Amino acid sequence: MISLLTLLKPRYWAFQKGLSGKDSRASQLFIMGTIGLAFWAGTFAIFYRILRYFQAVEGFGDILTYKLLSMVLVTFFALLIFSGIITSLAKLYLSRDLILAHSLPLPPAKIFLARFVESTIDSSWMVIVYSLPVFLSYGIVFKAGVFYYATVIMVLLSLCMISSALSSLCVMILAVLLPAGRLRNVFIFLAFILFLVLILAFRLMRPEQLVDPEAFASLLLYFRSLTVPASPLLPTTWVYDSLRAALTGNYKMGLFHLSLAWSFTTMLIFIISEIAGACYFMGFSKAQTAPEKLFPLHLRRQTNTLPSLLAFLPKPAAALTRKEVKIFFRDQTQWPQLFLLLALIVIYVYNFSVLPLAKSPIKTIYLQNVLSFLNMGLAAFVLTAVAARFVFPAVSQEGEAFWIVRSSPLSLRTFLWIKFFVYTPPLLVMAEILIVATNILLHVTPFMMCLSVATIFLIVPGIVALGMGIGATYPDFKSENPAQAVTSFGGLLFMLCSAGFIGLVIILEAGPVYTFFMAGVRGERMTFYQWAWLFGSFFLVFAISSAAVFLPMRWGINNLHEK
Amino acid sequence: MIALKDLSKQYGRFLAVNKLNLTVEKGEIFGFIGPNGAGKTTTIRIMGGILAPTGGTVIIDGIDMGREPEKAKKRIGFIPDRPYLYEKLTGWEFMSFSAALYGVDKDIFIEKATSLLKMFSLWDWAQELIESYSHGMKQRLIFATAFLHDPPVFIVDEPMVGLDPTGIRMVKDLLRNQARAGKTVFMSTHSLGVAEDICDRIGIIHHGALLATGTTKDLQRTAGIEEADLEAVFLRLTEEQQTP
Repeated sequence: MISLLTLLKPRYWAFQKGLSGKDSRASQLFIMGTIGLAFWAGTFAIFYRILRYFQAVEGFGDILTYKLLSMVLVTFFALLIFSGIITSLAKLYLSRDLILAHSLPLPPAKIFLARFVESTIDSSWMVIVYSLPVFLSYGIVFKAGVFYYATVIMVLLSLCMISSALSSLCVMILAVLLPAGRLRNVFIFLAFILFLVLILAFRLMRPEQLVDPEAFASLLLYFRSLTVPASPLLPTTWVYDSLRAALTGNYKMGLFHLSLAWSFTTMLIFIISEIAGACYFMGFSKAQTAPEKLFPLHLRRQTNTLPSLLAFLPKPAAALTRKEVKIFFRDQTQWPQLFLLLALIVIYVYNFSVLPLAKSPIKTIYLQNVLSFLNMGLAAFVLTAVAARFVFPAVSQEGEAFWIVRSSPLSLRTFLWIKFFVYTPPLLVMAEILIVATNILLHVTPFMMCLSVATIFLIVPGIVALGMGIGATYPDFKSENPAQAVTSFGGLLFMLCSAGFIGLVIILEAGPVYTFFMAGVRGERMTFYQWAWLFGSFFLVFAISSAAVFLPMRWGINNLHEK
Repeated sequence: MIALKDLSKQYGRFLAVNKLNLTVEKGEIFGFIGPNGAGKTTTIRIMGGILAPTGGTVIIDGIDMGREPEKAKKRIGFIPDRPYLYEKLTGWEFMSFSAALYGVDKDIFIEKATSLLKMFSLWDWAQELIESYSHGMKQRLIFATAFLHDPPVFIVDEPMVGLDPTGIRMVKDLLRNQARAGKTVFMSTHSLGVAEDICDRIGIIHHGALLATGTTKDLQRTAGIEEADLEAVFLRLTEEQQTP
């Protein structure tokens, strides 16, 4: 036990030092804390409203409330498992400090347990923090007592440990089974499985039917679908049952299901520590072998075809572009995120195809175009999420190898602009496909289609430049995983700036576009003042979009010189 | 060929480099030695254009690094002490990337990269990802890449770290040959034997300031201990600075 605590001490000291940082960091922490609190309060407000609404529905209000609870728990569990696999793979096999840890005179099982504790905390703290407002809203709506809140803490702890233990177990088995040098390929399999699970889960849930009871053969079938009990073998069922019992003040049942969850947790930790004693070092040892290329033939072909595609670019620009593309596709840690985004985009587009527009009491043509307008904003927010994951860390991705660029005759201005031009085309194409596909599904007017395409064309470079500029202002060249930079102060600042920029563009366009659209619907002519407003707004959108490109880039270049 | 004029670098309150003045002539190998934290790496990074000084200038082959950094950097072969590279590129790809940045012609590149990779015993590994290279192999790849664009100046930070004895011998010979061919080499090292062995002149830096420069003989005179080796001279000069 003492050696386990000793192994965890460096992490604890680093955390302590992080908290007692300099004044400049205190202000950043304050801003991040305020934003985090706002999100927290927002989640609470939304859930509180939904639960109050459900409670007001006579007859099956409780059924809906509990159904929502079970869906929330399954979602949290899936998130914890996914996050657990990625974190435990890094913590157990890929971290730089593992060499030092394994050189210590300690049994591998102890090292494993210390890493398991770290991995559990890292993979679950955010899910826990943002699940608390959900459980708090349940407690308030059900007027639950102290027993409920104590149960929430205990079941959440158990859920986190179970998911982390299952993830570690899965990673440990894979590390032993996979051939040496192939461990990183886990990311590819994980990405593919995640993609399939997301799509399948979405199709099986068919959430659009929950708002359309007519789609069911009968009301009875609808009720039955909501009250089907989950499998008693799932940890989420024990958690759900103990929470449900605690909410209704049924202490005995609450404690029984809580005991089930905890007995499984302790047993699982005992089993994985025994397995770790037997095979963790074996897997770690295999992971030290030089990684092998996944597609060696493909790489060679790419090496030959890329130069001809980039022939029109100046030599340094083409070289940097080639480097970016190759590194991006060879870094398998990027793949799960890529597949996750792909799945989200498929679901996003699919949502538009199943919208029950015809059943709406509002005029369809009006609704279609309002949705199309909102869709521009939504697509831009999707793009912000993509940019936060790929564009914002683009400078930090250079890592400790940044000296190569700094000592080369390439200016930092050229370096950053090349990065901008590498990331803009794919994101622009993705955003335009997204907006055109959803607009086609919505059957919008040609005016709305043109407006959406043009607006996205203006917004995308702005978002990319914001990500690149702010990413260059707050780079982290020493991070083991630069992609995590998105959770830093700079990442948050980027998302806020991007959201503000998108909001401003949408607000500027909304008024004149509504006037133009309604004039068309009513068959009226636009006045001179209305035309001036329309063109003035579009000019402002153009000016703001240009400023969103040039100002952050200049800011980023200036700040990069200081690093 | 290299001139440092009143070069200073301050990190907050800490003065890492204090008004350094130094010139290194064409065809000369200059060794830069000093205790840990003396300011060697900071000076070298400023010379390589990686760090901006808080004061003073760096002139490389007649070009001011502060005013025309891109032009000055084209004339430098920079070799850092730690071999951080793009791990997801192959050795060949990294050389090709570097060649494009420094404007090396494609035909010349293929011929030169092949011969350099063979010279540094990396030819068999050229198509492997850098992440599978050992520390010494990465260091050799950086050396090979630095020679690609045939620069007139080499700035080398701790050249022998991570190299095996064969590699050390090869690098020594290579630097000597470059100097004979009229190239200038500025290198920092902890290995006093290496400095004594290949450097024409040596500079001792301590607390960011230059204590003494010259040949081993000059340094012996400055330290007031004739017939002593460089280690004794170094210890004497740096100890004198420690005692108030």
